[in-house]
Amino acid sequence: MSNAILQAFSLVFDPYVLWVCLASAVFGMFVGAMPGLTATMATALLVPVTFFMDPVPAIGAIVTATAMAIFAGDIPAAMMRIPGTPASAAYADESYLMGRKGLIDRALGANLVFSAVGGLFGVAILIVAAPMLAEVALNFSSFEYFWLAGLGLTCATFIAQADPLKGFISLLLGLAIATIGIDPAAGHPRFTFGSVELLQGISFIPAMIGLFAISELLRGVVTIGQAGEMLVQQVGNVFRGIGSVWRKYWRNFLRGSLIGTGIGALPGAGADIAAWISYAVSKRFSKEPEKYGTGHLEGIVEATSANNASVGAAWIPALVFGIPGDSITAIVIGVLYMKNMNPGPSVFLQNPQLIYAVFTIFILANLLMLPIGWTAIKLAKLTLRTPRNILLPIILLFCIVGAFAMTNSVYGIIIMLCLGILGWLLEENGFPIGPVILGMVLGELFEQNFMTSMIKSDGSLLAFFERPIAGTLGVLTLALWAYMLTRNLWKRQPAPQG
Amino acid sequence: MRTNDAISGLILIAASLFMIYLTLDFPDFPGQKYGPALFPRILGAALILCGGILIVRGLSARRVGGPWVELADWTRDPRRLASFVMLPVLILIYILTSDQIGFIPLAFGILLLLFLWFGTRVVLAVPIAAIATWVMYWFFAVMLRVPLPRGILNNIL
Repeated sequence: MSNAILQAFSLVFDPYVLWVCLASAVFGMFVGAMPGLTATMATALLVPVTFFMDPVPAIGAIVTATAMAIFAGDIPAAMMRIPGTPASAAYADESYLMGRKGLIDRALGANLVFSAVGGLFGVAILIVAAPMLAEVALNFSSFEYFWLAGLGLTCATFIAQADPLKGFISLLLGLAIATIGIDPAAGHPRFTFGSVELLQGISFIPAMIGLFAISELLRGVVTIGQAGEMLVQQVGNVFRGIGSVWRKYWRNFLRGSLIGTGIGALPGAGADIAAWISYAVSKRFSKEPEKYGTGHLEGIVEATSANNASVGAAWIPALVFGIPGDSITAIVIGVLYMKNMNPGPSVFLQNPQLIYAVFTIFILANLLMLPIGWTAIKLAKLTLRTPRNILLPIILLFCIVGAFAMTNSVYGIIIMLCLGILGWLLEENGFPIGPVILGMVLGELFEQNFMTSMIKSDGSLLAFFERPIAGTLGVLTLALWAYMLTRNLWKRQPAPQG
Repeated sequence: MRTNDAISGLILIAASLFMIYLTLDFPDFPGQKYGPALFPRILGAALILCGGILIVRGLSARRVGGPWVELADWTRDPRRLASFVMLPVLILIYILTSDQIGFIPLAFGILLLLFLWFGTRVVLAVPIAAIATWVMYWFFAVMLRVPLPRGILNNIL
């Protein structure tokens, strides 16, 4: 094991890898801080570039960029009341009001420090929990994987979404898109209409660029020139007085990080939900809840720790089971498959150095967050003024080239365009996009394990419950379904549009 | 563009029926009860069920006065509507003509057009479009060796 750790260190502390991480950190800071560009979009734009790298720098780039982007979203939230990423939305008002009271240094300082430490907390849990879970998971058969995928998909649609029915439909659409191409059990081409390119299935990365970036651009272009000039405030020394914040709110930090880790590890729910829930929990248990919403630091500490803790924790199910914890890790799993580093418990045995390399990069990224975050805050006055009418066309071209690079043909661009329009239509009508990408990623695994299990058991559905872990997971999944159905029937009233 | 849930439901059901129709000529393998058609059919059935619920929901929203189709404010502003339509059209133009025209002229043209349309001054738009095109070409074609189409510049580069 120590040998693997040493190997991991030499993989990570390579000038090229460190350079890639630094560049991705700056990129992630910028994208996260620009309102309207999300952390998921940062990942989507990075993937075509990482495609050409070795596994370690590729993963390093994604890890660093996402960790930075989730923090960077806090900067415009505090300065302009516009969250840079959805994960900062929960406490954007609160930190903006702190700024109005002349406490912007304190708000941003707490955001930066607790983001970094919360991130490290999530990574610590990842380092402890993932190898233990992997050992258990080694004994899993197709039944367990079927239920794990089922449970992951269930969580993604039901817990995470405002409208479970539409979340479920999004998921089914994703699974249906994943059936295009050669089927995993019998090798028969499905829904290809005679096209050779469709045989390999819908290319994952162009699809993702379309769903996350093109649909975002379509929403963005109609508001260009609409938002007026924003007042960006001057920032002083953000680290002053952070020690007293620590002493006063360390309980909030711990609780926020714990909640963030839990929600991050839960398949389907990510940083934004972690922030909302921990902010609500913080208010509920606070001694002075009346101060919330007036520019009070307590909730900010808790929620900003939570959203960064969830970033690392989301990798637990992703690395151990190949089941994404949020839409970013869904993309990561796609990347791991392309690198022939199929996630699952066997990676921990066969390539432990890669796993330790991921851990090391995570720690590095969260430490790097302090200096780079500090610089980003100092430069915010400048970067936040980057005009969107220049940025959006460049992103569009970058998407086109990125999608092309994945297939070396216009096929990638066609997929990107189709799914971009589909993604825009879905979001407009209240269908979430996250489950579509989960369905696309898990589709093959889910179908393969379902078919294998059906063939093994000769169609007896009872066999799905006979093994102890499979049975538990199965009952849990079905219980969640039953709960959601009864709850929906209970309050059966005409739902408002959307 | 927000459509009533009933319309979304109908579209969903139609698409699912088409999907199930396509599975009809998937082969069965002798001695194997579960073929490539099983999973798509299950998905199709589930989607039809969900579509049905959406229709019920949409119709009850209609009864309390919800519209069939609701267009967002920006669709009434011709300029913003044009901005919106422009993106997919430009991507489509790239798909259709990139082989003949080539990446560099096409990318420069698309960028310049969008910059000017969104109100960047010409003195800024031309150099930024040129630099962005060059950086992207250098990064993807030179560094990452992506075979970006050369088109009309084939003999020069």
